[in-house]
This record gives sequence, structure tokens and C-alpha cells, in this order.
Amino acid sequence: MNADLLSNWLEWLPDLGRGLQTSVLLAAVSLAIGIPIGLLLAVLVSSRRAAIRMPSIVLVEIGRGTPALVVLQLVYFGLPNAGLTLGPFTAASAALALTTAAYTSEIIRGGLEAVPKGEVEASQALGMSYRDTMRFVLIPQGMRIAIPALVGFGILMFQATSLAFTISLQELLSRAYSIGSSTFLYFQVLLLAGVLYLAITLPSGWLTGRLERRLSRHL
Amino acid sequence: MEIVRDPQTRTGSDAVDVRASAQPTDRLEVSRKGPPVVSLKGLSKHYGENVVLDKVDLDVSAGEVVAMVGPSGAGKSTLLRCINLLEVPDAGTVTVGDQCVDAGKEVSAKDAMRLRRTAGMVFQSFNLFPHLTVLRNVSLAQERVLGRSRAEADARSMELLERVHLAHKADTYPARSSGGQQQRIAIARALAMDPQVMLFDEPTSALDPEVGLEVLAVMRELAESGMTMIVVTHEIPFARDVSDRVVVMADGGIIEQGEPHQVINNPQHERSQRFLRAVTER
Repeated sequence: MNADLLSNWLEWLPDLGRGLQTSVLLAAVSLAIGIPIGLLLAVLVSSRRAAIRMPSIVLVEIGRGTPALVVLQLVYFGLPNAGLTLGPFTAASAALALTTAAYTSEIIRGGLEAVPKGEVEASQALGMSYRDTMRFVLIPQGMRIAIPALVGFGILMFQATSLAFTISLQELLSRAYSIGSSTFLYFQVLLLAGVLYLAITLPSGWLTGRLERRLSRHL
Repeated sequence: MEIVRDPQTRTGSDAVDVRASAQPTDRLEVSRKGPPVVSLKGLSKHYGENVVLDKVDLDVSAGEVVAMVGPSGAGKSTLLRCINLLEVPDAGTVTVGDQCVDAGKEVSAKDAMRLRRTAGMVFQSFNLFPHLTVLRNVSLAQERVLGRSRAEADARSMELLERVHLAHKADTYPARSSGGQQQRIAIARALAMDPQVMLFDEPTSALDPEVGLEVLAVMRELAESGMTMIVVTHEIPFARDVSDRVVVMADGGIIEQGEPHQVINNPQHERSQRFLRAVTER
């Protein structure tokens, strides 16, 4: 049994490995697009102008209030009705980036608000503009504060890439599932998939701790 | 080193008019060194029901060092923060150099920025930028606000860091410096903008007494160099020996002001007597 499991795992590993690559790439693209938009939304949500603030809040609340799975389905199956057909990878990236932007904007806003008020006052007292204060004082410090939570969210997002299984993207879970359906060894193959997810998430969590210490050394 | 330009050339003529009308007390003319750099007229501020400042008038001349003392809650810090509009007054006018802001009208961000540029501020809690090196702390606003090049700004910053005896800290981060050192860096950062007046908001209150002395020494040098200064402080010896005028505030107003020895040793107002006794006879 154990020898069987190992030989099965070795046989599936190349296929699942390619699935893992897709999952990692999808997570990376979603985060790389989503987090900068999240930062932008965080700044816009803090704007003093209602005309800027209100639409941003609406966007964030919709993005956070809608399950990622629904957004994903909407983008892949729904948008073609509106004349926009996206491939599974593009659709998954767009959907997960949207969710990322909405969630991270709140994480980043929390980071910006955690920067001591005196920092803004010092910038103002030096005659710096709102824009420069944001760019040189608030955002660098706020992002440092937000990093642990952002990495935590990134790990969650990586796991959420398995939702793309439902739109037939050949990522880790869907490859495991198709092996399962042809061999009926669901337990064994899904176990391996779980191990492969862990192989990414565990070291990421460990790296976060190091990154956190490194970034906060001057604060 | 020279940090004060001739203040006469920088002061607008309208400021002089304000001074004449706002400060009728003859006695104070004695301590004046030049035309006013800061002129506050009818300054009022309240938070809800609580009146923090009640129609305060104050002129500070070029080169003058004014020490503001008084019990906490008297409005000293608020007054100081109104001068560079960190607090927006409800009524009255604030004139710094040739920049005048009327609290009755809408204060645009641009006007506020221009006024703040002429006043340097030192905070009780230093408020250095912890993510930037000491040198960048002093250079940043020079580049972004005054438009100096990186090289110009850094050269000026090094001059000022030398002046506060901290040039060797230039490439370290603020957290590596003691409180007293951080406050001296904060002074250098404010001076780097070539302000016409320096505002000090209890600069030594967060420091232990010994470390506070090194900050006071730098402030004393600054005063001797001719910088116009307004210092909110509980350091009575500093107020007595360094300032040109002591202003006593209580309950949102100026209750007494004048020559330092006179005010500190022989206060006229009952409230100042009580306060000064509390701080000098402990």
C-alpha cells in the first residue's frame, strides 16, 4: 500500500507539478495586478472628495462582498454574453485580481491609518503637499505595516486559485481531479495535491516572519 | 554658521500695519528687535463647547525669542499649531512673513502650504521619518518643497547636521539615535527649509532632564544666531535666560507678558503667580 502510494505519487508528480506551476503563476499575476489597484483604492477611499471616495467605497464593498467563486464564474461564463470572451487563465487572473484589489485595499488602508499622526503633521509642517506626504511618508510606512497581512492574504489567494478548477483551467486541483476520475484513486491524488499546496504555503508563512523583521527594523 | 537672512527684507509691509494695531502695549516695544515676523490677530479656536483660544493677539518681531508658558490646557500648543495651520483657527488672522491667512475665509491647501513653508516646527515627539536615514529626513522636503537638487539638499543637510553635532549620524536611521539626538535632527530638518520663524512645541518634554539640556543648548545657539523663535516650554530657566519675552497663557488667553526676569520673578497676575510658583518652587 505504502509502496503503491509512493509509486503513484511519482507517476502523477510531473502532471501535478505543471498544475502547481499554473496555480503559482495565477496567484502571482492576480496579486501583481490586484495589490497595486488595492493601494490605489486605499488612497482613493481616504480621499477628502466625496466624488472620488464614494465610487471607490462602492467598488471595494462589492469586491469584498461577492464570493470569489461568483466573480470568477461571472467573468468566465457571464462576460461572453456581454461580448467579451476571455480564456480561462485570463478570466481567472482578472477575477482574482479584482477580489485581491478589494480586500488588499482595506488591509493597506489599515496600514496607512496605523502610521502615527505626527508623521503627517511633520510633513505638513515642512510644507509638503498631500501628494508628496502620501508618496514619501505615508505609503512607505503604511505598506511596511501592512506587509504581514498582505502576505497572509497572498497565501489565501494562492489557495483560492483552486477555484479556477470550476472554469476548466488546468491548475493543480483540476489536474488532480482528472487523474482521480480516470483512476478512481481520489484520496491518494487529492492528498498529493494538498501536500503540493502546503509545499508553497508553509515556506511562504515562514518567509513572512523574516520579511516582517527585516522591514520593521527601523520602525 | 549663518542661518538667518536679513529678516527686514523678507517681511511684507502689510504685516507691519497689523503689528501696529494689534499690539498697543508700549512696554513690549523695548524688547523688540525688528518688524514682526509672526502676527496673530483675534485668533480664536474652540472644540465644541470648549474654547481653547479666545481672541488672542500676538506679534513676534524678527530675531525675537518668545517663551510661552502656562498650565496645560491653556492653549499654548494650539496657538503654536495655529501659526502654521496644523490647526485651523475659527476666527482671526495669521500672518507669517508676507503670507497672511484669514481664518474667516476658506483656507486653500496652497495658501496653507506656502505659509507652512515660512515656519519651521519642532514637535514634542520629534516625528522624524523612521523609514528614512537621518540625511534623507533633513533633505526630503528641501527637494520636494524648495526644489533643491539632491546634491544641494544633502550639502545643506550636512551643514545643519554638523551644526547640531550629529553629522556622524547622517547615514543611520533615526531609531539608532537617542531622544535628544532625534530632537536635534528634527531641529536640523526644520531649519533646512530656511524658515523665517521656528516654532517649538514643548521640545524637551519627552526627554529626560539631562538629554533635554543638549537640545536646549542647540536652541540657545539658534537664538544667539538671531533666529526668530516661539517656544512653548516648561523649562523656566531657559525662558528666563534665553528668551526676550515671556508670554504667560491661561484659559485660552494671554494673561501676562513682558521681560523674562520681570515676569518670572515678579508676576503681576494672580494666575501667573500661582503657575510660576508651582514650576519654580518644586
